[in-house]
Amino acid sequence: MDLRPLILLAAVAACERSNAGGIPGSVRYPNHVAAGGNQPPAGEIKNPLTPDSTAVADGGKIFSSMNCDGCHGGGATGWVGPSLVDGRWRYGSTDGALFQSIFYGRPRGMPAYGGVMSAGAIWKVILYIRAQPVPADVPTERWKP
Amino acid sequence: MRIAPLAAIALIVLQGPQPARDDGQWTMPARDYAATRYSGLAQITPANATRLHPVWSFSTGVLGGHEGQPLVVGGTMYVVTPFPNVLYAFDLTREGYPLKWKYRPEVNPASLGIACCDAINRGAVYADGKIIYNLLDGHTVAVDAATGAEVWKTQIADINQGETTPMAPFVAGNRVIVGPSGGEFGIYGWVKGLDVATGTIVWTAHNMGPDSLMLARSFGTANIGVSTWEGDSWRRGGAPVWGWISYDPQLDLIYFGTGNPGPYNAEQRAGENKWTNSVLARRPGDGSLVWAYQFTPHDSWDYDANAEMILADLVIGGRMRKVLVHFDKNGFAYTLDRLTGELLVAEPFANVTWAKRINRSTGEPVLDSSKTTGASKGNVKGICPSLEGGKSPASPASYSPRTGWFYAATNNLCMDFEASRSTRIPGTPYIGANTPYFPGPGGNMGEFLAWDAVRGRKVWGIKEKYPVWSGSVVTAGDVVFYGTLDGWFKAANARTGKPLWKFKVGSGVVAAPISFRGPDGKQYVAVYAGIGGDWFLLSGDVRSDDPADVRPPADFAPDLARHTSQGGIVWIFGL
Repeated sequence: MDLRPLILLAAVAACERSNAGGIPGSVRYPNHVAAGGNQPPAGEIKNPLTPDSTAVADGGKIFSSMNCDGCHGGGATGWVGPSLVDGRWRYGSTDGALFQSIFYGRPRGMPAYGGVMSAGAIWKVILYIRAQPVPADVPTERWKP
Repeated sequence: MRIAPLAAIALIVLQGPQPARDDGQWTMPARDYAATRYSGLAQITPANATRLHPVWSFSTGVLGGHEGQPLVVGGTMYVVTPFPNVLYAFDLTREGYPLKWKYRPEVNPASLGIACCDAINRGAVYADGKIIYNLLDGHTVAVDAATGAEVWKTQIADINQGETTPMAPFVAGNRVIVGPSGGEFGIYGWVKGLDVATGTIVWTAHNMGPDSLMLARSFGTANIGVSTWEGDSWRRGGAPVWGWISYDPQLDLIYFGTGNPGPYNAEQRAGENKWTNSVLARRPGDGSLVWAYQFTPHDSWDYDANAEMILADLVIGGRMRKVLVHFDKNGFAYTLDRLTGELLVAEPFANVTWAKRINRSTGEPVLDSSKTTGASKGNVKGICPSLEGGKSPASPASYSPRTGWFYAATNNLCMDFEASRSTRIPGTPYIGANTPYFPGPGGNMGEFLAWDAVRGRKVWGIKEKYPVWSGSVVTAGDVVFYGTLDGWFKAANARTGKPLWKFKVGSGVVAAPISFRGPDGKQYVAVYAGIGGDWFLLSGDVRSDDPADVRPPADFAPDLARHTSQGGIVWIFGL
């Protein structure tokens, strides 16, 4: 018996259910593997602010005043928490993923700042992080003999 | 009954401040109440130490910094891993030391973000048939030593307030003594006494604040824990208790050090900030404060005093004194009368620039005012030691009653210190300083040394390329053991400092070695490999398990990552 139509039907139904439940785009990130090989459709969250110098500077001040630098280091270059300016993202690099990390926290120690920071402040911090220069990736260490 | 008096004598000998005759076990973090880390075993000697070789090793399956030490109780070795705090019980009576059981607690991973400096654990204590240790997320657990069944679990700390609990509990009488980390999170520091049978919290004593909360029932100036602070800054003033505890059963006093005041920016907390960076002597039964001494008043360098207080009886000024000896992060080694807290000796064991000396009559440091930091002072350069400490409290020293000397792993690092204003948001870092390190003078970043605490001077030292961040154990065979960040485990002659033997253990050593007698009657030495703790932050590129977290090598030790990477291994060595 050919099961393919049934599977397809089930997959479509699953997608529809998910859409009905309104999957926030922020929980979808590029290294998620979608069951069946297709990304479930979902809205994408975009930073509503534009990265002008004032907003970026505000973001830097908030990064410091909210004690982000206590874990991620001055300039977000990494300390107890990982660097946020090396172009490597454990939970995805989209605006939505970054917002999710700050607002809801992450399981390995990132506190949820949704209770103490407004959405606007979070977007400014994201602007600040994105404005930092990302060094060329150096995955190989070499030492002189 | 004829045995009773003998048993009573044996108990007194075992519990006395001087190291007792060794029964071959290692049942508490520092082996004895006096925190000597002295093993009375003498099979391994300077003459035969070259024959030492690994007899067993075991991967813990955990990558975090492996601080602390295993326990050996009867024929079983107990190992606590860093987060997620697995407890292993190994059967030393059978070939290959197979597991008897392992206990896997639920630990809230949110605590990973509250731990200042890697998700370490400093070990367990055995008492009353139970292995008792702390989980990172603010719980103390007691596990049946025979079966691995959980007997009790008590919440002692609140990660939402920035408290985590990697320290090794201590048992005095029927009290389990515990304290929190969180000097970088603006906690309101405390120590608690739990009932060993049930885990019930019997008393909570804060390290600052009003006398009623400090349990300072008849102690010194009234409410000194409030009057030495600006406003209500004591409420978020730090003073964590993450180091080691010792106990004098004759005096019925426990001794422990408190950590730094928060935030690092000292201008937000004018005053001496008592009792941060201090040694406190309390009654274990009810927690009451009997005396305290502050090593670094109004700290502006993060000089925690959580290092061990080693109890010894030494002849000072022609008279036998009951003393405690303490190697402080601030670079001075202190010898205090442990009845009264009177300062007897305070001399630098490391390169010190923040103070000129310690005034013996006042007990206070004579500061170099150019090295005092604060947000208004900008970037203050050339402060030694660095905030890693002249010696790290995470690296407990040992004491041999045979030589009369103390054996300490020290760091030769300095720092610049740029403070800034900080706001406390519970559960987030409350620091306010940028503090890059650089090597001190001399070309070596570390030294393992023997210290004469009567005269306050170094007897011998072994220079090491990198900071030395391991504990030590010294034995009745006059051999002392320690490890290095670049992954060597070493033995030296305790009398001369002559290196005897070394072995590459697979990862940097930030743990404390122990020595025990196996069921076969032979002497063994055990230690963890597994770089981490502050060196998770400082050594740079030593982890390879997370493609999203690739770090540059440490700028002051760029080739350290050439010699080590993360990974926990338990090693046992024998002849």
